Amino acid sequence: MSIFEYNGSALIAMVGKNCFAIASDRRLGVQLQTVATDFKRINQVHDRLFIGLSGLATDAQTLYQRLMFRHKLYQLREERDMKPETFASLVSAILYEKRFGPYFCQPVIAGLSDEDRPFICTMDSIGAKELAKDFVVAGTASESLYGACEAMFKPDMEAEELFEIVSQALLSSVDRDCLSGWGGHVFVVTPTEVKERILKGRMD
Amino acid sequence: MSQAAIDVPKGGFSFDLCRRNDMLAKKGVQQPSYRKTGTTIVGLIFQDGVILGADTRATEGPIVCDKNCEKIHYMAPNIYCCGAGTAADTEAVTDMVSSQLQLHRYHTGRESRVVTALTLLKKHLFSYQGHVSAALVLGGVDVTGPHLHTIYPHGSTDTLPFATMGSGSLAAMSIFESKYKEGLTRDEGIKLVTEAICSGIFNDLGSGSNVDVCVITKGHKEYLRNHLSPTPRTYVSAKDYTFSKKTEVLLTKIIPLTEKVEVIEAGDAMEE
Amino acid sequence: MKLDTSGLESAAPLVGASSGFLDGFADAPSFEVPTTNDFDGFQKEAIQMVKPAKGTTTLAFIFKDGVMVAADSRASMGGYISSQSVKKIIEINPYMLGTMAGGAADCQFWHRNLGIKVCRLHELANKRRISVTGASKLLANILYSYRGMGLSVGTMIAGWDETGPGLYYVDSEGGRLKGMRFSVGSGSPYAYGVLDDGYRYDMSVEEAAELARRAIYHATFRDGASGGVASVYHVGPNGWKKLSGDDVGELHYHYYPVVEGAVEQEMVEVAAA
Repeated sequence: MSIFEYNGSALIAMVGKNCFAIASDRRLGVQLQTVATDFKRINQVHDRLFIGLSGLATDAQTLYQRLMFRHKLYQLREERDMKPETFASLVSAILYEKRFGPYFCQPVIAGLSDEDRPFICTMDSIGAKELAKDFVVAGTASESLYGACEAMFKPDMEAEELFEIVSQALLSSVDRDCLSGWGGHVFVVTPTEVKERILKGRMD
Repeated sequence: MSQAAIDVPKGGFSFDLCRRNDMLAKKGVQQPSYRKTGTTIVGLIFQDGVILGADTRATEGPIVCDKNCEKIHYMAPNIYCCGAGTAADTEAVTDMVSSQLQLHRYHTGRESRVVTALTLLKKHLFSYQGHVSAALVLGGVDVTGPHLHTIYPHGSTDTLPFATMGSGSLAAMSIFESKYKEGLTRDEGIKLVTEAICSGIFNDLGSGSNVDVCVITKGHKEYLRNHLSPTPRTYVSAKDYTFSKKTEVLLTKIIPLTEKVEVIEAGDAMEE
Repeated sequence: MKLDTSGLESAAPLVGASSGFLDGFADAPSFEVPTTNDFDGFQKEAIQMVKPAKGTTTLAFIFKDGVMVAADSRASMGGYISSQSVKKIIEINPYMLGTMAGGAADCQFWHRNLGIKVCRLHELANKRRISVTGASKLLANILYSYRGMGLSVGTMIAGWDETGPGLYYVDSEGGRLKGMRFSVGSGSPYAYGVLDDGYRYDMSVEEAAELARRAIYHATFRDGASGGVASVYHVGPNGWKKLSGDDVGELHYHYYPVVEGAVEQEMVEVAAA
């Protein structure tokens, strides 16, 4: 068993027209045993910046706390929010610091820049950034998610359509994965609002 | 408060999770695989300078996780570096050295030399005894002329007129060995580099997607991102996907975002 | 998404099946033993190679009107779900059912072997149906003869014979247990929880079917490797009958309907400026 499969997770972020969506499943398991079905894997860093952490839940939570701490220090020092690009570099640096004893986490970062330009990015557990223009995925269902997104994605989607595509890709992918699923959690972020939705999914 | 509690790293690696991860490994937990650039990277010297080339595929195990990544890294305005191996390592090591070069330029006010970059890179790699797995092709033009080097993960280096690295290095080298000659023109050079990368893309499973080229000449450089796309996507769906049933939502929460307001402080703003 | 459950339906009745194969009379088929020095290592590798579908929840229990048998329908390879419509309750003959846990191929093969080479031939030779006790013992004997050679079978043989309802647990380690209720597979702890809590001997068929379905549902909810469809069979004096096959994706919202009012809750509060 790989350590990434210990808790199970599915994460996806997709870009639309001046908006983005980031979504995750809701399961927290210990190997095959489902422990919780309302687990939060996606966290809000500031109004228009989100980070989802797949992989080992204990590391995800520790890492999130360290990231929030660093972001708050930045806010105090600079009196502004971090740009998504800056935040991605911060995450990358924190992960690479532990190159030889990594956090077992694969982050997905999604944010809207000050010019309302969407930004998405993922990394491996030692901080190798992958900046994509369309979508990024992570977690135990990532292989299915790659397939679903590759087929369903189209450029310049509006928020509602983006939500539907992301949700369908997520739900259909986790239905092929034992270790993730049990509902979905989707954030769609436009320049004017954040829409958070809980999806109804198969509970097996 | 202790230094560790402040949690702002001062640089260098941190090994505090190693014990735990070793414990997990001993318990039979499989260690994670990292993102690799199972790569074809090449470089050659032509009559006016250096040409570097790379494919754009990044893999994680059997999965292609990035179809268009950048493997030609910036080192200095006159020096670029292709990276193969663990993606995080090539990225980090080139970033680190390029910032050292920048600081060195600020200090000396002179253009960076390729040997400086070479020495900094090999020193770093040698000190980690191959654990930082970056295989590099370093190229640039400085006051002493054009230079091309390869650097291996353990820190050894080569100085060559033409070089290849990565999993597709054999495929690319076969092209260079049969067609390289001294004093190539710019166009011939780009063509040969492209051909070598294509050979990697088509014959090596770890390499794929597009060809990136970077031409560095005296006082000038040209980064040809996606110079060639020999394997375009052929299966774009003609019509949209339709879903038999709309996603069912259990709960919606809408958080309106406030406009970012620029606060322009008046002259008599409160002062302490 | 609606699951395709057609694969879970019963095939043609097994009663009048003609059997023109008396040649290999009632002896268990024998396999060649691999010619290797490292026999144990070979076994281990071979098992890893054909990694059996492990995750399963199956259960069966005896109550006053017969035996209730139920199972999920998921097949998984590691974390990947390879099918959501596997038939895990195998119809050995009209009066006997077997459940499938462990290696799918091993279970299917040996159940069919039990059906045609053991039970049917016993009927022909003795002019009466084989008892559940007898059938399960023959299966256990076969599995015992292959003990330690890599078979992976965890099965329950449930049926009705001259002595009434019968239920046995048989596994590839050679074990054979008689009992009133069993559950086998990775989801069995969860199923046992529901089963032990709700079990009474004097249940009606409806109550028993509901208990079995609920136990399977709860197992699919907690166990990552169980899921799909909860199939429930009943074996009575007149043979077995499939009572239901419910998609547990729908069953969850049937047992726990979404609370009205929680849907569409808008928060029009302005986030901190």
